[in-house]
Amino acid sequence: MLACLCTVLWHLPAVPALNRTGDPGPGPSIQKTYDLTRYLEHQLRSLAGTYLNYLGPPFNEPDFNPPRLGAETLPRATVDLEVWRSLNDRLRLTQNYEAYSHLLCYLRGLNRQAATAELRRSLAHFCTSLQGLLGSIAGVMAALGYPLPQPLPGTEPTWTPGPAHSDFLQKMDDFWLLKELQTWLWRSAKDFNRLKKKMQPPAAAVTLHLEAHGF
Amino acid sequence: MALFAVFQTTFLLALLSLRTYESEVLSEPLPLTPESLKVSVNSTCQCLHLQWTVHSLAYHQELKMVFQIQISRFKTSNVIWVENYSTTVKRNQVLHWSWESELPLECAAHFIRMRSMVDDARIPKPGFWSNWSSWEEADAQNMLGHDPLFVFPKDKLVEEGSNVTICYVSRIHQDNISCYLEGVQIYGEQLDRSVSAFELKNVSFIREKGTNVFCKVDQGGVLGGIVLFVSKVLEEPKDFSCETQDLKTLTCTWDPGSDTGLTKQPSQSYTLFESFSGKKTLCKHRNWCDWQVAQDSQETFNFTLLAENYLRKRSVSILFNLTQRVHPMTPYNLLPKNVGATKATMTWKVHSIGNNSTLLCQLELLAEGKVIQQSNVSIKVNGEYLLSELEPDTEYVARVRCAYTNHFWKWSELISQKFNTAEAAPSEAPDVWRNLKLVSGHPTVSLFWKPLSKVHANGKILFYNVIVENLDKPSRFEVLSIPAPASSTELTLDQCSYQIHVTAHNSVGPSPASVIVVSGDPGNEEVEKGRVNGTEDGFSVSWKPQSGDATGYVVEWCDGPQDLPCVLQWKNLGPNTTSTVIRSGAFRPGVRYNFRIYGISTRRMAHLLEKKAGYLEELAPSDNPQVVMSKLTSRSFTLSWKDYSTESQPGFIQGYHVYLKPKAGEQCHPAFEKTVLPEDSVCCKYTIDNPEQKTFVVENLQPESVYEFIVTPYTSVGEGPLDAFTKVTTLDEYSHTLIHIILPMIFCILIVMIICYLKSQWLKEKCYPDSPNPYKSSVLSLIKSKENPHLTIMYVNDCVPDAIEVINKPEGSKIQFLGTRKSPTETEFTKPAYLYLLPTEKNYSGPGPCICFENFTYNQAASDFASCGHFPVTPQAPRHQLGPLTSPENLLKALEQNYMNSLGEIPAGEANLNYVSQLASPTSGDKDSLPTNPPEPALCSEYKMQTAIPLGLASAPPSENSSLSSTTLLGQGEHCR
Repeated sequence: MLACLCTVLWHLPAVPALNRTGDPGPGPSIQKTYDLTRYLEHQLRSLAGTYLNYLGPPFNEPDFNPPRLGAETLPRATVDLEVWRSLNDRLRLTQNYEAYSHLLCYLRGLNRQAATAELRRSLAHFCTSLQGLLGSIAGVMAALGYPLPQPLPGTEPTWTPGPAHSDFLQKMDDFWLLKELQTWLWRSAKDFNRLKKKMQPPAAAVTLHLEAHGF
Repeated sequence: MALFAVFQTTFLLALLSLRTYESEVLSEPLPLTPESLKVSVNSTCQCLHLQWTVHSLAYHQELKMVFQIQISRFKTSNVIWVENYSTTVKRNQVLHWSWESELPLECAAHFIRMRSMVDDARIPKPGFWSNWSSWEEADAQNMLGHDPLFVFPKDKLVEEGSNVTICYVSRIHQDNISCYLEGVQIYGEQLDRSVSAFELKNVSFIREKGTNVFCKVDQGGVLGGIVLFVSKVLEEPKDFSCETQDLKTLTCTWDPGSDTGLTKQPSQSYTLFESFSGKKTLCKHRNWCDWQVAQDSQETFNFTLLAENYLRKRSVSILFNLTQRVHPMTPYNLLPKNVGATKATMTWKVHSIGNNSTLLCQLELLAEGKVIQQSNVSIKVNGEYLLSELEPDTEYVARVRCAYTNHFWKWSELISQKFNTAEAAPSEAPDVWRNLKLVSGHPTVSLFWKPLSKVHANGKILFYNVIVENLDKPSRFEVLSIPAPASSTELTLDQCSYQIHVTAHNSVGPSPASVIVVSGDPGNEEVEKGRVNGTEDGFSVSWKPQSGDATGYVVEWCDGPQDLPCVLQWKNLGPNTTSTVIRSGAFRPGVRYNFRIYGISTRRMAHLLEKKAGYLEELAPSDNPQVVMSKLTSRSFTLSWKDYSTESQPGFIQGYHVYLKPKAGEQCHPAFEKTVLPEDSVCCKYTIDNPEQKTFVVENLQPESVYEFIVTPYTSVGEGPLDAFTKVTTLDEYSHTLIHIILPMIFCILIVMIICYLKSQWLKEKCYPDSPNPYKSSVLSLIKSKENPHLTIMYVNDCVPDAIEVINKPEGSKIQFLGTRKSPTETEFTKPAYLYLLPTEKNYSGPGPCICFENFTYNQAASDFASCGHFPVTPQAPRHQLGPLTSPENLLKALEQNYMNSLGEIPAGEANLNYVSQLASPTSGDKDSLPTNPPEPALCSEYKMQTAIPLGLASAPPSENSSLSSTTLLGQGEHCR
């Protein structure tokens, strides 16, 4: 059922983008993208709990906060508030799109490493959902007329830990991947909420419009 | 300096030449120092690799040498390992030696040196050690990066149960570094200023993702860690065996044991190796592997199964002959053929093995899950077997398995097939019994039969045929067909004897007939009654053998209690049996079961022999009888419980206990036994040991005393509940004496009353005649004789009224008179006021002759009650008292005065008064009811027997203003002529 939901959500953003005529604007797409981030946030809570238990202590301890040693390549969600406020819509959406593109790639690598079938199933399901979110963001960008960011050749993120990368560091990377993903979902929810509000037509204008019709 | 070096070299060469000479010529051992010692570190295995050469050896010379290796940690003086390594050495040969360090090499610098000694048998003299080589340092710390904290060994793979040493190297030189194993802090030993080591003993498998060990600087945010991969110990494969189903493919199986797979190590692999052919195959599965038999008819195989992972290898081997490992495939197409009631043929097929191989097949027949037949059949491809001695209408399961005949190794898997045999006619007559009774005067026989067992029914019973044959009229038959599953029927007969045949029918035919003979006489003959003991197994019933020709016996009983409808049960027994045990799951403790034993004659007629009753387990009575008390006297009373049925009790009633609670301090009568009740009260108990005695007289009691009694039955188990005592109080001792006196008195009074009633007419005539006939009054004679002989009797008819007195009679008013015998003063106040209204005042013609009547009897009563305003005057009253009132003036005057005076005393409702002399006086209650029920004139309109009074007497002197009298009223109201 969740897979069906994801498929539907995957296709939803394309609809308003393709049917711009007589369109309700990008508002519904943004709303659906926002809803999807909230859903993924909920889904990630369950997945992260399972995966961190699979890694074992201290990674599943609630107050564990390791240094970000090997996770420098992960896109950072945390940003200065003023910087975040000053982002324009295009940049905001582009950062989201790029972040999830990278995170999805890492997440697929994580899935390949997982030892248990159940964990692999959960990760694959989450990857599908995240792919849906990525498509949704792409839909919003298309609706707003923004081009999708093109990956630079050779910068495609890969999940190939080097030989010097110890298993402990690998676990820390996994931990940071899940943590960063969670932070990104929080940030995206705020991003799309902000966009949603921005795209709503002002209420006063509607009132005036009605009055004009009345007279 | 150069000169010195040249000199030294020359000296050494000379010395070496001398030594060589000595060793070759004199065969003396030479000190051969290891040279070119190099040390390398392998972090993966935590090993130090050493390599060196011995240059000093002569060409083509091989010597057995011993190398002593010393390893120091941290500093050269801290030697931690010394080992002698023996090997054969050639000239310029590079020698290798490895040493695995317990402590990760990254945590400490190691120093290595060695020396050597010739240890060759060709050199007889004992050798001596060469000089030590110089110390070589192996310091892996140089390879570390710039992180502040390192933990080692990285990602080490060990087996369960190993001991592992963990260490950390800190670059920040702080003491507040804590290390944790799976979140639990561990404590170790500080080896150096910046190095600590922790020994983990007997490590165990936790997860495939490895065991986490990490160290961190407290509150510093610095963290380092490792993952220790602990693998389960690789087990030797168990139960390794190979077999073939078709002599073409061998399938080898084994029990692999635990999986040793980790993210760091794949699961163990299995390789099958055959030594004769030299072939091997890597198995794709953990627990089985196929091996194709070559066409060259190899018969013997020697297989080795090798299990291995990164840490260990395990192998197991078997040697066998191919034909001795044949496990045939499961037979197929097992089918029943020609299935009859008692026979069936089973057919099946097998997969052929090789050419012309035979298989031994085992056919088993199961009924209700149990094997009842087993047969072995040798076949090549098709199997067939005839099963006989089967039961009709029974479900069977046939199953077949086969084995290789040449050499038995294993049975194949089983193949099963269900089938049902056909029906046959029932093989046994139904078990029939009867019950005779009279219904509306007609002998009626109830026939019962038990359903045939499956063994005897041989199919589904469709109906029962009942043929009733009149033995007295042999030509008459009656046939009844009763559909199954009915198990009884009822027949109304006459007084003739009947032979009844009962047969059970299925689809094939009837069963043998069960024959029973009954006569119209229910035969309630009196027979011996006895008791039967119940045990856990049931009732053991025995009887006296019937003298004569009994062909068998039947014991009959009802499964339920007596008060429930009887579910008739019976048991047939042979002619030589005189006892049996009756078992039933329906038997309950505390229920009386009645058994009747019948003897079956040669004429197949049943005769009642004995009756027996018994309890599976007797219980104490649960209820006490309803006791009726009677004949209560001052000294005794009688108890009776005749309605109590001993038959329907939970045990055989053996008698009764009569408990009597005596008065305080009273002793029990000698017939009673003193006993203490459960609530610790003392009681007198009398035991009646005859269950049919249902009355008891309690005697020798104290009069006017309260006693409490209870009657409780008892069985062999106990008595009834002692809960509800009944109280009784004995009578007064004299009460019956009084009765002796009072009763005759009442009798006498009654006699007198009867006489009085019978003579009432006479008395009435004598004392109070109905009409006021003065001539009939005896009083008249009395008056005449004593007082006034001139008195005459006036006839009422002779009186002609000359005036009518109209009385204004206010509602509810009446004068209250206090009686004629009051003083004159008092009487004055009782004069009625209405006299003002008398219309006779102006028409008054003065006193005239008048005759009045006086009833003295009435007067007497009226004087007491004065209810009519009638002022009686006794004959003894002074005449002058009447006089003044005859004058209206006097009367008015007196009344006016008295009225005014008496208003305050006389109730308003009593202020009026009507006159008239009457026959009977109202009751005294009228007086009391005056305020609410004013006197009605009718009360005062009766007549009284009156006496004529002379006129002179009526006109008494007016000076006498005495009280009013009836005479006065009469004089005013009625003027007689």
